[in-house]
Amino acid sequence: MSENTKTLQNSGETLDKSLFERIDRENIHDQAFETKPVSYLKDCFRRFRKNKGSVVAGIIILLIILYAIIVPIASPRAHVSPTAYPNGYLDNYFKYVLPYNPMFAGTGFWDGTKIESLNERSYAIQTLTDANRPYIVETLEKTHDRVMAGDIVISDTVVYNCRVDTYAVGVKRIDLSPSAYQNLVDYEEENGIVGTADSIIKPSVDYETYLTDYADHLRGNGVIDTLVTTIINEMRTYYENNPGIYYALSAYPDNDETQQPSDKSNMFSPIYDENGNVKDLYIRDDAGDLVYGTYGQGRYTLRVDYFDYSTYFNGFEPYLFFGANAEGRDIFLRLAEGARFSLILGVCISLINFIIGLIWGAVSGYYGGTADLVMERVTDIIGNVPSIVVLTICSVSFTSNGAMMGKLGSAGVLIVSILLAFVYSGWIGTASTTRMQFYRYKGQEYVLASRTLGAKDRRLIFRHILPNAAGTLVTSSVLLVPGVIFSETSLSYLGLINFTTSGLCSIGSLLNEGQTAGLANYPHMLLFPCIVISLLMICFNLFGNGLRDAFNTTLKGAED
Amino acid sequence: MRETKQTLIYILKRLALMVVTFLAIFVICFILIRLLPLTPNLTPGDVDTFYLRMVAQGRMRVDPSSETGYSMVPVLEQLWNFIVNLFKPGSQWKFGLSYAVDKWMEPQNILFSKMPPTILINVYSMIIAIPVGIGLGIYMALKKNKWQDQVLSVLIMLVISVPSFVYAFVFQYLFGYVWKVLPPMRASGEFGWFSPQMTLSLILPVMSMCVGSIAGFARYTRAELTEVLTSDFMLLARTKGLTRAQATVRHALRNSMVPIFPMILGEIISVLSGSLVIENIFSVSGVGALYLESITKRDYDVFQFVAMFYVAIGLVGTLVVDVSYGIVDPRIRMGGKKA
Repeated sequence: MSENTKTLQNSGETLDKSLFERIDRENIHDQAFETKPVSYLKDCFRRFRKNKGSVVAGIIILLIILYAIIVPIASPRAHVSPTAYPNGYLDNYFKYVLPYNPMFAGTGFWDGTKIESLNERSYAIQTLTDANRPYIVETLEKTHDRVMAGDIVISDTVVYNCRVDTYAVGVKRIDLSPSAYQNLVDYEEENGIVGTADSIIKPSVDYETYLTDYADHLRGNGVIDTLVTTIINEMRTYYENNPGIYYALSAYPDNDETQQPSDKSNMFSPIYDENGNVKDLYIRDDAGDLVYGTYGQGRYTLRVDYFDYSTYFNGFEPYLFFGANAEGRDIFLRLAEGARFSLILGVCISLINFIIGLIWGAVSGYYGGTADLVMERVTDIIGNVPSIVVLTICSVSFTSNGAMMGKLGSAGVLIVSILLAFVYSGWIGTASTTRMQFYRYKGQEYVLASRTLGAKDRRLIFRHILPNAAGTLVTSSVLLVPGVIFSETSLSYLGLINFTTSGLCSIGSLLNEGQTAGLANYPHMLLFPCIVISLLMICFNLFGNGLRDAFNTTLKGAED
Repeated sequence: MRETKQTLIYILKRLALMVVTFLAIFVICFILIRLLPLTPNLTPGDVDTFYLRMVAQGRMRVDPSSETGYSMVPVLEQLWNFIVNLFKPGSQWKFGLSYAVDKWMEPQNILFSKMPPTILINVYSMIIAIPVGIGLGIYMALKKNKWQDQVLSVLIMLVISVPSFVYAFVFQYLFGYVWKVLPPMRASGEFGWFSPQMTLSLILPVMSMCVGSIAGFARYTRAELTEVLTSDFMLLARTKGLTRAQATVRHALRNSMVPIFPMILGEIISVLSGSLVIENIFSVSGVGALYLESITKRDYDVFQFVAMFYVAIGLVGTLVVDVSYGIVDPRIRMGGKKA
């Protein structure tokens, strides 16, 4: 060793090559790695997996995404014939029906039933119906609803508290073409239910006789003739225009004299014969047989049990897992479509915002100085204009722009205005993060080295600085998605994004529908959208935070 | 002395910048809103009044060739007329007129009349949220990583993530409709602002507003306090003989308040701006509800005025928060150039 140093010090002499010979060529005493090398991504994934909460959150997000994708494809209600349902599946007779889960049938929870107070007349009508499903599942108690003034009873009405089946919509009047009628009759014959208690087609009712009787009743009570004619005409119009009114076995004027005749136009109550048996209103032919349907102007008019008819017509039972909204649409399907819309919108807008923010922030952070100052002021101004203002201006000016409405349609205009409103100021967050990262990296030695080698600005930005900042930026972008979904939901819930004419829906518009319907009466319309949006928000936040921690290498080993 | 002067200059600079930003936003909004098609829903008797007042504001001019007899003035000219009108003493309808929300009222008067309920629920919720939130945060920081802290942390995470309308609905449904212990909607205006009926009916909106703020304050306080509690000067405080309580109250708490105090200030300023969601759910006819109503009824003058009001509050809030950092913590030198 000492000899070598000595030789090197004599710099003037040529060095003996033999001095640089390797002593031992064969045995290198370095050990090969026995463990596998861990790449950055692998390490991040391992650290992410350790965070159980984030993994569960990720799985829940995946499930919601699957729900949003699969249900609109697989649900039979998404594929009903467009001639029968031009606006997609909806059945007004089943509006507001409560959620029904076959697993809970008959338990009183999640089985489409609710507690309702019925007065004596409705109770009688409901018990005497000839529909196949009983409306009253269970009578809980019979009480008196008394209005008192001191000790004097002013009014005393009997009230029945019952558990009622919201799917028992009763018997409805429908018009069918001869071929459709024949199909229905064939179906009934196949199943052997013609004329039985389970039949779909019910005997027709003679409401004209009812009206004549009622007119006599009114005259008997001293009502003048012209008024009687008006009332009867009103009632006939009411009946003919409302094929869906409950039609009991027997419907006769109520004898309650406290009510004004004009209030009675939609009141029916049963009538009993001398023996106390219910008299029915069925039409009978000359032989005394019941008449099932009448024919006129090429159409058959029938009374059908609507639940069974709907099952026959659609091929599936009208039970709805999450209940129905005010139009009678399936909330389960609508919520999937809404979640799909919200998710797609959230991801797309986040992506656009991310890209714009990245470019803006990169330029502003890289060049600094005056460019930075000007760009910062611009973001200041843009960022302080409330997005509601932009949204309102966009949607109003686009919808009043005939050319644009013609080209894009109502749904297109809606999407464009949402996009503009969210992109308008949504990128600012990403831009400031990017700007900060650029300030952090642009002065570093490797950038300087590259610059000395003659690299252009573009190369420095995209090949050197951006890849280093990528980890922070990508993880922060995950949290953009729930932000967009949240604001979209809030704005459509408030009705500022108006979905009504577009045929689209989002979670927020379902919430809006639910609030319009009334929280007190129809909580199911709000419950399910609320659950989905809450789950989405919680899980996206947990997932995003988990991802951020996993990608943050400075935390490595700190939490172990 | 030099410090104070520097601070003053900084504040003035920021103020000037704020005014410029506000003016820029105002001009953009003014032009965009005035370009929207004006389609007021007027009764025949009101039409003449409407046009006359529009002419008086310099927004329309008499034009015999047009169908209605009046035509719109170009937008930039409208802007000029607006500015002239603003500084002309005695001129009427400086900020325009409402023609849908509250007919023929001026926007500023409508806004001021809607303020009491908004301020009331915001102040109530602040009075509850700040002490409870900070208290919870302190408790969690002191119990760091014990089960109490973990349970509360999960709860707070849930509350912060869940949108406020969800728990507003839950409160309204359970307390208002199922248990029927509290009125689900705000009492009508005939009751005084401080009458028992009004206070009772404000409990639910205040609760819904509180929950989010409490969670926010608690999380922030916990984060700050845990950081301060582990710093070296705390160890010094304990070694010089202070008890844990003394050290926490006198040293840790004071230091951790540095970022929390500006947060409280921000909250105080935003007392004036109502929450759209909560006011909508509980039918509190406040500023937020007015904003919403002016949009849905297309009452642009009111909409513009309220929107600018929100912009102004946002700008002032940011400024106050930024400035207060330096006042609370002398270590932060405002406007100081990087060394």
